[in-house]
Amino acid sequence: MLAVLNSHEMLQIMTSGPYNYSYIFKYIIIGDMGVGKSCLLHQFTDKKFMADCPHTIGVEFGTRIIEVAGQKIKLQIWDTAGQERFRAVTRSYYRGAAGALMVYDITRRSTYNHLSSWLTDTRNLTNPSTVIFLIGNKSDLDGQRDVTYEEAKQFADENGLMFVEASAKTGQNVEEAFLETAKKIYQSIQDGRLDLNAAESGVQHKPASPGRPLAAPPAARDNCSC
Amino acid sequence: MPSSDSEDFESADEGSPETDKKVRKKRTSSSHYSDSNSQETNTGDKVTAKDNSQKVNVEPNVEAKTDGWDDFDIDCPVENEKLTKVKETKKLTKEADKPQSTGWDDFDDWGNDDATATTAVTTEKTQTDKSAADIKELTDRLASATSKNSGWGWGWGVDSLLSTASAGITTLTSQVSQGISTVLETGIGAPDPEELARINAKTTENTEQKSSSEHKSIEPSVVQEKEQTSPNEGSFPFGSLFSGVTKFVETTGTKVIAGGLDTLETIGKKTMEVLQDGDPGLAKKRAMLGLDPGEKPVLSQILREAKAKADEEDKIREEKREAKEVHYENLFDDFEGLVHLEALEMLSKQVNMRIEERLRAAEPEKKQDIKETMQQVVELCEIPEDEEDDDEAPEHQSKPDALHDRLQTATQDLGLKLQFQPIVKQYTDVLAWLSSNSNLNEKAVYKRAVSSLAQATALAVEIYHKTAEMLLVKTRRSTADEADAMTQMTVVLTKHVGELATLFTANMNSIETDNKDQVNTYITNIFLESGNSSTYIQNAFQLTLPILQIGAV
Repeated sequence: MLAVLNSHEMLQIMTSGPYNYSYIFKYIIIGDMGVGKSCLLHQFTDKKFMADCPHTIGVEFGTRIIEVAGQKIKLQIWDTAGQERFRAVTRSYYRGAAGALMVYDITRRSTYNHLSSWLTDTRNLTNPSTVIFLIGNKSDLDGQRDVTYEEAKQFADENGLMFVEASAKTGQNVEEAFLETAKKIYQSIQDGRLDLNAAESGVQHKPASPGRPLAAPPAARDNCSC
Repeated sequence: MPSSDSEDFESADEGSPETDKKVRKKRTSSSHYSDSNSQETNTGDKVTAKDNSQKVNVEPNVEAKTDGWDDFDIDCPVENEKLTKVKETKKLTKEADKPQSTGWDDFDDWGNDDATATTAVTTEKTQTDKSAADIKELTDRLASATSKNSGWGWGWGVDSLLSTASAGITTLTSQVSQGISTVLETGIGAPDPEELARINAKTTENTEQKSSSEHKSIEPSVVQEKEQTSPNEGSFPFGSLFSGVTKFVETTGTKVIAGGLDTLETIGKKTMEVLQDGDPGLAKKRAMLGLDPGEKPVLSQILREAKAKADEEDKIREEKREAKEVHYENLFDDFEGLVHLEALEMLSKQVNMRIEERLRAAEPEKKQDIKETMQQVVELCEIPEDEEDDDEAPEHQSKPDALHDRLQTATQDLGLKLQFQPIVKQYTDVLAWLSSNSNLNEKAVYKRAVSSLAQATALAVEIYHKTAEMLLVKTRRSTADEADAMTQMTVVLTKHVGELATLFTANMNSIETDNKDQVNTYITNIFLESGNSSTYIQNAFQLTLPILQIGAV
């Protein structure tokens, strides 16, 4: 067994460096292949629409610093692969997410039908305080709509999810989805519902006094060449 | 290497002993500055000559200094000097140097807060002194003032004193206030007492007996101090002081009368009394102002010191900010190295759990098999001893292309389509930057070096992460090949970061600079960070191990 630092410990130490933000929130974007998860992320981080986004392998990352209630928050977004074959791999990444953006494609009913399965994974693999936001993507393609707003809204309400229809192409509601999630998480922190000290919270509070982060202690091993 | 890693980090970033030196240097110089400044202030007292001699004689007269009365005694003339702004005082102080037998001990006793002592002394004085009449009048007034106002405490500020002054002579009030403020700023521990004590140490001791008998009622320590200072009795030019004052009074006209002078002296005495209340020798007040007994609390000096301190802090802050710019971990995080490492670790843990589950579920024999297989994988992943295989780039090939080829060759048995373009492109960029910027300073090279190492390492970690993900979704595993490929890839990547460090340090060495020490520190740091990079790469490789193992069990 490897004696590597627990990832959270490691991240905690590493990120206690001099940054101009107070919190780090971990987001995870999930949903069927081709619903536009990576495009939503790009729209949010780069304000651009990537027309032909390649399939995501495993997980890709994006970051953006936002401000909620005067606090600078770094969003560390994990954009997972939608392909079924990566399902086992991506399940490893849910842990410690403070927010989960669950995406379906309003023009493809099957992606909507799979939501309950995604929701089950999310509920099982994250903690109860994780904020789940349902996004019906491709709202610009209203003519090809396969899922009504009302239907999805009802599903969201029944499951206690936040919900918007958005378009990664036009940028409509993209910002809102990410920011509203952050606000909800921040609210949870304020209310004390979210325990910052819990490793699974997905939120890290940056200490006010930046100190020199420690080096990651090397993994204990005998076969090191050096 | 791993064991020294944390140290590497430490020195890598902190590599600024120069900074400390600079700071220290600055501090020293600033203190010099304030010293000279305090001297400047002294010269303003019109007693420069005395000042200097006093400075020389500070040591032998420490005891005299601690005596509260001395302070007062001297402040009185200083105050007068300020008040009148006449050169008479200078004359007076000069005369003070000449041994004279006057009513010195009269003044001598004013410093005592004890009203009874003052009265007692007054009686003695009237018997012994030449100018008895004048003195008696003065001291009687003082004595009465002392006993009357024995309740004065710290609540009594300068304002109260000023009101007393204005009650006396209104025309002098403004001067009084000026005088008081000047006295307060130039310092209570005026130089004169030591000077006087020194001079008087040479005079006869016959008066000493008298003075000690005078103060039998006073506590022994005070008596002892008294003995040290008592020679003053014979030397203080009280008569001349008085004549000098009289002269001044005459020249200034009838407005300033003797009573005014008395009032001023009363004010002076009271000021000292209030200041020294419960604090003989003003030791506490000096301590409060953070000054040695010999130094003088000068507001401007304190402000100047505060400014110097603030400047210093600003400088340190700026240096810290710069240090953060070349902070390896921050850069590694910015290049997403950290999050890839975290993700890889999550995968690794997940897979480890699955392996353990299989082990638990397996038959005892099978269990042994699995363990052996896992051990075999570990052995396959041992990095070979540094064999000097010539992986020099062929003539026709650029260094980045050679890197790409080596990575491709190393990983061809993985059976995966890995993306090496990012790390190859970064290498190309680094080489281009180094060759196109000939007039670089060492700082710029250092910054780029740390940043490049962090970026290359982040990209390397990303390769391990992607490889692990792809291996996990691979349908047909060939663990032996995979292990071998990963081991080779690790060798290539480790060498690559070493090569980057060498490139930058070679460039750094070619820089012509006066600051060779700084360059050497930078070079050391670059090598330390490159060691750091190798450690990250090795860590990533170790995290990939379970992913290789699970393919075999």
